[in-house]
Order: sequence, then C-alpha cells, then structure tokens
Amino acid sequence: MELFDRIIFGFSVALLPINLLYGFVGTLLGTLIGVLPGLGPVATISILLPITFALEPQQAMIMLAGIYYGAQYGGSTTAILVNLPGESSSVVTCIDGYQMARQGKAGLALATAALASFMAGTFATLVIAAAAPQLAEVALEFGPADYFSLMVFGLVGAVILARGSVVKAIGMILIGILLGTIGIDVNSSVPRFTFGIPQFGDGIEFAVVAMGLFGIGETIANLSRGEAARTSVKDFSGLWPKLSDLRAIIPPSIRGMTLGSALGILPGGGPILAAFSAYSIEKKVAKDPSRFGNGAIEGVAGPESANNAAAQTSFIPMLTLGLPSNAVMALMIGALMMQGLHAGPQLMTNKPDLFWGLIASMWLGNLMLVILNLPLVGIWAKFLTVPYRFLYPGIILICCIGVYSINSSALDVMLACLFGLIGYIFHKLECEPAPLLLGLILGPLIEENMRRALLISKGNFETFIARPISLSFLILTAILIVFLAAPRLRSTRERAFQEQS
Amino acid sequence: MKVRLTTDLFTGLLFLAFGIFVIVYGSRYPLGTTARMGPGYFPLVASSGLSLLGVVLVARSVIRETSAEVSGINLRPMLLILFGTLAFGLLIERVGFLVASFALVALTRFAERDVRLAETAALAAGLTAFTAAIFWYALGMPLRLVVW
Repeated sequence: MELFDRIIFGFSVALLPINLLYGFVGTLLGTLIGVLPGLGPVATISILLPITFALEPQQAMIMLAGIYYGAQYGGSTTAILVNLPGESSSVVTCIDGYQMARQGKAGLALATAALASFMAGTFATLVIAAAAPQLAEVALEFGPADYFSLMVFGLVGAVILARGSVVKAIGMILIGILLGTIGIDVNSSVPRFTFGIPQFGDGIEFAVVAMGLFGIGETIANLSRGEAARTSVKDFSGLWPKLSDLRAIIPPSIRGMTLGSALGILPGGGPILAAFSAYSIEKKVAKDPSRFGNGAIEGVAGPESANNAAAQTSFIPMLTLGLPSNAVMALMIGALMMQGLHAGPQLMTNKPDLFWGLIASMWLGNLMLVILNLPLVGIWAKFLTVPYRFLYPGIILICCIGVYSINSSALDVMLACLFGLIGYIFHKLECEPAPLLLGLILGPLIEENMRRALLISKGNFETFIARPISLSFLILTAILIVFLAAPRLRSTRERAFQEQS
Repeated sequence: MKVRLTTDLFTGLLFLAFGIFVIVYGSRYPLGTTARMGPGYFPLVASSGLSLLGVVLVARSVIRETSAEVSGINLRPMLLILFGTLAFGLLIERVGFLVASFALVALTRFAERDVRLAETAALAAGLTAFTAAIFWYALGMPLRLVVW
C-alpha cells in the first residue's frame, strides 16, 4: 500500500491552491500556444520557459508539465480542425481526425482525443508512481562509469529513433556537446571557447539555444514557407459521445496506452514514435482496414492515447536517471538545473514533495484538459482563425523578453538571434535540431563522468566494461548500433518514418 | 562532373568547418593524460568525430545521389526576423523596453509582403502594451520600460 500512500502524498502537494493555479495556467498557456500550427511542444515550452524561472521549483515543474500536455492537446485540436499538425506527434491524428471533422463529426473527434488522452494519462500516472521509485533505487548504485555508459546509450537510442539521416543526427549531437563545453572547465578552471567574453564563463544558457533554434528559427521557416490556406471546421456538434461511441473508443485507447507507456520509457522514444506505432497496430487489428484514412474513430483514439501515455512515461528516465529521452525532457532537465536542482535518483529522496507532487499534478493536468478544453474548443477554433501575421510578431517578442529576462542580458538576445539564423540553416539542410539539444544537456555530464571514471581507474578504459551496470548499457548500445547497421532493419526504420513526411 | 548542391554536401561542409575550427582553436588547451584529462581532451575527441562525419557526408553526397537539393533561401523573412530580434537586443538597455518592443514588432511585421502601416503601428503599440502589462506589471520581471 506504499504506492497509494505516495500517491496520496503527491495529491496533498498537487492540490495546494498555488500548485493547482500554476498547473491550470500552464495547461491553458500550453494549449493556447500549442494550438498554433507549426508550434509543437518543444517550441511552446522553449517560449514559455522563462516565465517559470521566477517560480519555486515545485510550481515551475508543475507549470512546465502542464504546458507540455496543453501543447500536446492543442496540437491535436489543430490537427482535427484544420488538418495542420501543431506538432509532429499529431501528424497521425490529422489522418482520421480531419476526415471525421469533414464528415461533421468534429465534436466527436475532439471528445475522442480528449477521453483517450485522459484514460492514458490516468494509466501512465500509475505506471510512473509504481516504476519510478524502483528505478531510482537501482540508479543510486550507479558510479561515474555507469552514468557515462547510460548517457551514451541514451544518445545512441535518440539517434535511432530520430527522423531523417542518422549521420546528421549524430553530428547534431556532437555540435550540441561542443556547445556544452563553452565556459569555465570545472576540473582545471580554464575558460574554454569563451573568446574573451566574460559572460561566456558560465557557458551559454540552454534556454537561449532552445529559444533561438525552435522559437525564432521555426518562425522564419514557417514564414518562408508561406501561409497555407486554412479552412477551419466550425461545427462542433456532438461533443459528448454516445454510449456506442464510448464502446468504440475504449479498446483502442487501452491498446494505445499500453504501447505508449512502454515506448515512452525508451531513450529516443516518446509521443511521436508511440503515435505512429499505435496507428499501425489499430490498422492491423481492425476488421476493415479500409476505413482508416476515411475517418475511423480508432485512428484517433489509439494514437492519441499512445502519445499521451508516452509523453508522460518519458518522465520516468528523466526524473530517476537524469536521462532525457527526447528534446522536451532535455528542456525539463535544463529547467531543473536553472532551479539549482539535478535530475537523477537523489531527486526523489531530496525533494519528495516536488517529485510526488509533479506526478499527481500530471493526472490533475489531464483532468483539467478534459474539463476545460471541451467547452472551450470554440475559443481555440476562433484563435485559429487569427491570421498568422498578427501572431508571429508576438511570438518573437515573447521569445526576446524571455531570453532577456533570464540574466537581464542583452547579449543573450543577440545570441538567440544567432541561433535563430542557425536554426533556419539547419531547417534548410534538413537537420533536426532536437538531437543538438540532447547533446547540449548531456555533454557536460558525459565529460564529467568520463573524466571521473578514468581518474578512479587511473586511465584504464576497462573500467567501462568491468562494472556490470556499465557493461550492460554498453551491450545494449552495441545491440542498437547493430540494429542501425543491419540493412533489412534499416529499411524498416525508413519505412516507419516515411509516412511522416 | 556537375556537383549537385545537396543538403548532404552542405551539412558535411558545415560539420567539417565547425569541427576543424574547434580542433584548431582548442589546440591551445592542454590535453592531459587519460587518467587526468586536461580541458582540451574532450573537445578534441568530439570535434574530431564531427569532422569525420563531415567527410562522410561530403563523400556520400558525391557517390550517392539520394539526398535532396537545397531549396532556395527566402531572404526577406529571414533577414527581417533577425533584424527585429537584433534591434530588440541593441535597444533594450539603451532606450528601454517600450521602444525596443515597438521596433521589434514593426520590423518583424515587414517579413511579410502586404504591410499596412497603420495596422502595423496599432499591432506594435498593442503588443507592447500587452506584454508590458503581463511581464513588467503582473509578473514583475526586471524590464526597464524607459531608459533615460
């Protein structure tokens, strides 16, 4: 019954009025920005991140988590109503959700997405509460060599499951790692790559990089693509599903949430992969697969529950091992660092209120989304009809205010401008910027653990294979690399990502 | 032989340039030994790897012709968004938030073609007032509205 004690403790924290308020504000803001086409959770969180810096760690994390689900949910709304994915994991929802909307079942599609997400959210919250403490306990035994191997495993996993070219993804990670070396070296106090600029001594803020690449860079990309014609569906009748609809929603939701919860824990896994896998499973188990693509309700329920479950369970490796499985989790680790906290096994013992409060707030956040968004969907749809030309100057302005407010530094704003340019170049070169963010967050940790491990072993590299935990991670990494190199499997991977483009 | 300007080629050159720059610039930091690594060790390993990947990409772009060609760069939105951000950075500490924000909105608005001056001025004033109300007044962020 320890599990329930912990969950009740979590709720006693999450239900504090101040935490409820920030959770609510987070989900609301997240939905608001996430509804905008072209802005996914990573961009949304990057843009809104600085607002949370002034808060206490507990409220900041609860608000950020709220922003995350809000952005996810907002993305689905856009996908269903205008056939434009707000983020990559709702690409799948576009397929059948928009078809349902065109057949006059927009309300039902939105309700399906909300209910499937809520069911998955409830399940994933329980999975986290049950699995996280066990994992944290194991992780307490980790030495520097083990951490090094774990992070390498995490990065390789992120590459495999990333979209696009593998070589480019590895290169982006390395660029991130190199950017992470800017600043004063902890061991020797030598300032590295600071180019004589004193402000670079503490390294470059990851929020500046994230905001430049995702906030500014994506806006330029959106603008240069030109505005796509938007035809928003305006009829939301049938928001409340009938009993027969519920019967159609529940089985695919259960399949989706089970699959999503498992995939979310994997390094590199997360909502996108989960949504695509769930869609193909639904297509396989369906009696009549031809309905898919023409407004099949399972094609909305399965992927929506899977992506929400994965979005939540990806918190498990982040909170317990300090390992971000995707770019959103890298942002979360960065946010914790800015609060002076380190993600990892100590977090649960040192800050139980933050840890359990965050987990309980996840469920509350999901509940708020259902209660809020179904009645408010008319407002979101109105927001969608605001022309982009009124929105993007505001987005850039909020980015700049956010960047400036981190350190009251005008230099940071110019640096964000530079990363905006770099982000646009990456976009043109078809390089996903997400692995760069993972490298930037994990780089300093990898270096520190590698140096410490080799110091302990007196320069002997065998330490990485002598320790069983480290060895297991390296074997897993090797398996991933074999998977990556095998031509037959590689073509499967390419096919799996083909549908996305 | 005609060189195709593919994304692979440019990415490779970019990786190579960045990697070599770090190798050269980083050569001033002592390497140390594996047991006691100096500040130059880790950056050298990472930048060598990056340069190697650059070579792989350039070679691949010559041998295989699978990667897409780079599409044209749309200069207008790129430059105006960047100018707007830069203007904000340059003005915020010299003349204060109100002017910096107004300049940012006005400049970025020109990233699109059909610009109406009155509409842009109204948008700039509105967004400036709105964000000042939220970030300066309500959230108490340390923004100086006007610098004398």
